[in-house]
Amino acid sequence: MTAMKDKMMTKDPQHRGKPGIGWPIAIFVGTALLAGIFAGYSEARADQGHSALAPWASAMIAIALGAIAFAFYVRRHAAWFRQWSPRKRLYWISLVLAGALGLVSAILLQSHGNADLMSDSALTPALAIALSALWVFGLLVALIIYQRSVDDHERMAHHIGGLAGFYAFVFPCPVWWVLWRANVAPPVEVMPLFALSLTVNALVYLWFKFR
Amino acid sequence: MNNKLKVLRAMRNWSQAELADRLDVSRQAVNAIETGKYDPSLPLAFKLARLFEMPIEEIFDDGHEG
Repeated sequence: MTAMKDKMMTKDPQHRGKPGIGWPIAIFVGTALLAGIFAGYSEARADQGHSALAPWASAMIAIALGAIAFAFYVRRHAAWFRQWSPRKRLYWISLVLAGALGLVSAILLQSHGNADLMSDSALTPALAIALSALWVFGLLVALIIYQRSVDDHERMAHHIGGLAGFYAFVFPCPVWWVLWRANVAPPVEVMPLFALSLTVNALVYLWFKFR
Repeated sequence: MNNKLKVLRAMRNWSQAELADRLDVSRQAVNAIETGKYDPSLPLAFKLARLFEMPIEEIFDDGHEG
């Protein structure tokens, strides 16, 4: 009886027909490439004096095509996705949402000729407001979903990574500031500190999650 | 903390991913518990005990006698 039960448990339907990760990656990269192609085409037309799409419009078309392709992928493997637990489903929704936010932000920046996130170059008010709204509200929603769906082990990795990221901000920040006041360092800049904090956070999180 | 998770899993011929699905945690969580890099929370320890139908202290050993 136990042997039969074990055999049934081993042939878990959840592990049949598992879709590969190749297509989601290809869709993600393809969307970014398509946005670049559209932006380049629009720019070339504008340079030749022809009417061209607005930078945000070409980005939105690429994102819409990427979303359609991803919807087809999910539909094709719907039976497998339906077997996921609600926790796992929420977890991946939060990751896909965060990834999509990053992609949209990058495409919007690129389409306005600001490929470098760390650049100090001027942005239009509309782009700055759109990016701020995406960052605050989009990330807030993604993080609320993420926090409600992580398991014990990931929460531990997330907390230690978060603490390391916090330390990577609170130690260098006042040091840089007092050194600047003594005129032995350049003025304090927020973006390098932000990048350092985020990098340390990500590295420590990944170490505790996958070691 | 030592545990018998790997042995119990092997007895049932489950992969780490299959055990993770039964516990509704990630495969990395199962791997971290098995290799002693992470001690599960009390709710997860109870879940393991229910799944393997044995007391928690038979799965986990904190090294103390008695």
